[in-house]
Amino acid sequence: MAQLNCIVVTPEKTAVDEQADFVALPLYDGELGIAPQHSPLIGRLGYGELRIRAGGTVQRYYIDGGFVQVSDNVVSVLTNRAVLASTLDASAVAEQLETANKQPSNSPELLEIRDRAVQQARAQLLVAKRN
Amino acid sequence: MANARALDKRRKSVRNIRKITRTMELIATARFKKAMDRATAATAYTSRITEVVSDLARSGLQVSHPLLEARESKEKALLLVLTANRGLCGGYNGSVVRMAIPHIAKMRSEYGQVNLEVSGKRGINALGFRGLVPDESFLQFEDQPKFADVEVIANRYLDDFATGKLDRLDVVYTRFVSISRQIATVETLLPIGSLDGAADDAETKPTDGADAPGAGAADEGDSMYEFLPSAESILEEVVPASFRVKLFKCFLDAAVSEQIARMVAMKSATENAGDMIKQLSMTYNRARQSQITGEIMEIIGGVEALG
Repeated sequence: MAQLNCIVVTPEKTAVDEQADFVALPLYDGELGIAPQHSPLIGRLGYGELRIRAGGTVQRYYIDGGFVQVSDNVVSVLTNRAVLASTLDASAVAEQLETANKQPSNSPELLEIRDRAVQQARAQLLVAKRN
Repeated sequence: MANARALDKRRKSVRNIRKITRTMELIATARFKKAMDRATAATAYTSRITEVVSDLARSGLQVSHPLLEARESKEKALLLVLTANRGLCGGYNGSVVRMAIPHIAKMRSEYGQVNLEVSGKRGINALGFRGLVPDESFLQFEDQPKFADVEVIANRYLDDFATGKLDRLDVVYTRFVSISRQIATVETLLPIGSLDGAADDAETKPTDGADAPGAGAADEGDSMYEFLPSAESILEEVVPASFRVKLFKCFLDAAVSEQIARMVAMKSATENAGDMIKQLSMTYNRARQSQITGEIMEIIGGVEALG
């Protein structure tokens, strides 16, 4: 059976470049599963967990927004940050959520900025808790 | 003629200096290689962003975004100057500072308020000497700038731009053209001129060839991609992402250029020290010889006087 080539690039480096049987992506509004022979798509990513299943093993990453481009069995994920889920520290993330909650929100723009920070922290917390 | 012993002392100290500069050259070379690897790794991201943008453009989307449009108001501008934390790198810091000073004056005449942000001790000192005190300064960027650090700054600029606290952002840095050529340049990052700019660097060109087959396949259908949720929404995310990576690229370029500048400066310093040692050895030998001759003459003179 055809396999997917999953590539995760961050501005610093190419974090993942490997073969996979199935990839689950955190899209802006929920999870999207990509199996081989998926139709071409460009999607906006949210903050959440990326799972790459190859053989019997599953690798989990925290993905910090960005995009995904799927074509010809190649899944390329562009994101600001890709962190192995096992390296996330739940207590540090919880602290981050607390500071994000304390940010000022007295104008629509500031509220948007705060919401983004809160969402990021919550998503990280969720990923960290699943460890 | 100078004292032979003094000459020998000087020669020894030059030799020590040569050892130091030689080591510094080697360190700079190693750091340059690392910085260069990082810079090339970053192009993978930029080339993919360009790919997404070209796919978006092919879907017939009007590329418009608040970050792309020039502002009417000319109130607040910001100049970011990227220099090194350390000296001993030839004209690297000097040329950036020389570029920055007239640009600040120019921006001040155009905009109501111009903030100055400087990265690197050398730039802070050099600009401070000329009475330009930065509103914000960064010292944390060494030879391997981290994206997480740059992202914080980039997000602050984006937020300021969105809330109207910033109308224009210029960056003065040393652009890396090739290993033998780095130029200090001024670049306007906000508002973003064009999206393609993120990847029109010389380094990404070779990879374009490799991408060509994929792009060709995409040409067949007008737009074979399904956009989730919509092309507009993706564009909304692409533009800030491309700004962030552009700013990051500036930091990376500056880091690479700094190491090259240091490498070249230390190489010529080592060579100079070598020349100096040769010269000093020659003078030293001559001085020693003439000293011996003088002593012999004295002895002969003494013997003759006795006889």
